[in-house]
Amino acid sequence: MAVVLSDEHRMLQATVREFAARELLPIAADLDHTARFPAQAVARAAALGLMAMTVPEEYGGAGLDPLAYVIAQEELARASAGFQTIVTVNNSLVCEPILRWGTEEQKRRYLPALASGRWLGCYCLTEPAAGSDAMSLRTTARLVGDEWVLSGTKLFVTNGVEADVCIVYARSEDIPGARGISAFIVEKTSPGLRVGKVEKKLGIRCSSTAELVFEECRVPAASLLGARGEGGKIALATLDGGRIGIAAQALGIARACLEESAVHAQQRQQFGAPLAAFQAVQWALADMATRIEAARQLTYRAAVLRGAGRPHTREAAMAKLAASETAMFAAHKAVQLFGGYGYIQDYPVERYFRDAKITEIYEGTSEIQRLVIARHLLGRR
Amino acid sequence: MDIVVCLKQVVDPELPVRDFAIDPATKRQVREGRPLVISTYDENALEVALQLKDRGGAQVTALTVGPAAALGDAVRLALAMGADQAVVVDHPQAPDLLGVEKARLLAAAIRRIGAYDLILCGCESADWVERVVPPLLAEMLGASCVTFAARVQPADGGLLVRRVADDGFHEVDVRMPAVVSIASDEANRPRLPKVKDIVAAKRKPVQSWPAGDLALPSGGADGSGVEVREVVVPQRTATCEFLDGDPVEQAASLARRLRDLKLV
Repeated sequence: MAVVLSDEHRMLQATVREFAARELLPIAADLDHTARFPAQAVARAAALGLMAMTVPEEYGGAGLDPLAYVIAQEELARASAGFQTIVTVNNSLVCEPILRWGTEEQKRRYLPALASGRWLGCYCLTEPAAGSDAMSLRTTARLVGDEWVLSGTKLFVTNGVEADVCIVYARSEDIPGARGISAFIVEKTSPGLRVGKVEKKLGIRCSSTAELVFEECRVPAASLLGARGEGGKIALATLDGGRIGIAAQALGIARACLEESAVHAQQRQQFGAPLAAFQAVQWALADMATRIEAARQLTYRAAVLRGAGRPHTREAAMAKLAASETAMFAAHKAVQLFGGYGYIQDYPVERYFRDAKITEIYEGTSEIQRLVIARHLLGRR
Repeated sequence: MDIVVCLKQVVDPELPVRDFAIDPATKRQVREGRPLVISTYDENALEVALQLKDRGGAQVTALTVGPAAALGDAVRLALAMGADQAVVVDHPQAPDLLGVEKARLLAAAIRRIGAYDLILCGCESADWVERVVPPLLAEMLGASCVTFAARVQPADGGLLVRRVADDGFHEVDVRMPAVVSIASDEANRPRLPKVKDIVAAKRKPVQSWPAGDLALPSGGADGSGVEVREVVVPQRTATCEFLDGDPVEQAASLARRLRDLKLV
């Protein structure tokens, strides 16, 4: 099933590409060097409708399908993977679970603010002792009167510094594993919540990655997202959508590597000919392009299945696995093709190389994606 | 205020040079297989119309001359950006029509649209760069005409138009109905459509009128009155000239050469 883009999808692609050219490309290198949060560009992305793309219009979103979402994410990541990280977390890890499991009151309170850019969201799952083994998390939630009291530390929280709304997973039941976990919508101003250590990263440097510390953090009982004990299910289902967004990010980085390499190969002269005249270089470009197109079709397919409401856990894992390894492959080739120029900051490929690596790690490492795919193959879930 | 914006669909000027070609038989640019976009300044004109709509509620109609079957994204983009409706004059030879013929079709279509206070056009098209359609339209419609305008705002029942001039700008009061051709300006940089409006554009009305059904303005010669004898792609050559003498003489020679070439 090859996915062919409709006229609307093509126009959306052109629009987001133009947005990225105007707002992101001129500042992408500076954002990376200074690791500053691009507040103005985020506000402009929100005005265009990019912060809550799949949220229906009645809640302030753009009401688009998951395919439109991945097309847009690829274009943003093509210009700045760090910027796209900020956007994709808000969309897929914050708006989506609120839309799917939130009460009407929660949807009305949070979605319009997250769509308009007035608020930004973050997703708090990982803990110091719970990374790939996320369901062993230890943050606790106790119901005291009409309040939940959260205690624990969350790690590697994207948007953790700037976020106003946090989706937090905590153990509310005295049951080990996924069934003891509940999800909560926690406002950043809640008493007992503070930002801890802010990480210094290899790539995607304009998005913040922080520790969030919950010290007897009290939130209203109505902050529960979904039912008690449903948090593990919500976390994993949310990651299905998140992984499609990361696959799109990886595609954007891989495409940036390919496009910059193709230009360089035609301009750079060695041994009396442009690099592009050498077959070794042509083959590298051909391999990059082929892998990108294959990964793109997997990503589009996962998005179309999600849009149709069909199971897509396996497809999302395949898309993320293929796209993130393609991004790393393309970045490796690009730096090699640029030679010494690929290793210095005057050219963007060293940034792509650093940005690409995270796509193999967050929202489930490549190893976890293989585990998910294998479990589906072998029927061991 | 009722505003009609005339949009021409042209081959994307950003296309790589290797994809540009002239058909020697028709002496026209080859359009087949090339991406088509709204001509550059026409998009600025649309932006001016949408800003007037934002300020005080105007009805904006996007008008383009076909061929309807080969229309690309121009109409859809105009509607996504905020135009209220679109009219396509279906003419199979549309891209090959020159000034007078094109203006006649547009004038006839605008009369059929009926209500119009302001007609906005780009100051020139990205392909033929004739710059004649706006004044011709004004003449045919009996409307005021201002060319090369950067900004347009309502004023005392008419319009205050800022016109680009060599030494700065002119501000002119204009009675409506008026035809105003728009040059690019920082104030009329085309907006990007909101992503939700791209889908919503599908629900906006688009009318397609066969060119043959329009009552063309009478008078004047048939056709455009213009015969295209030759269209050539300029060949760019580079030569290197060395200037003799000591640095003072070289500087004097260089200054003389630059003056001779009218570069300074």
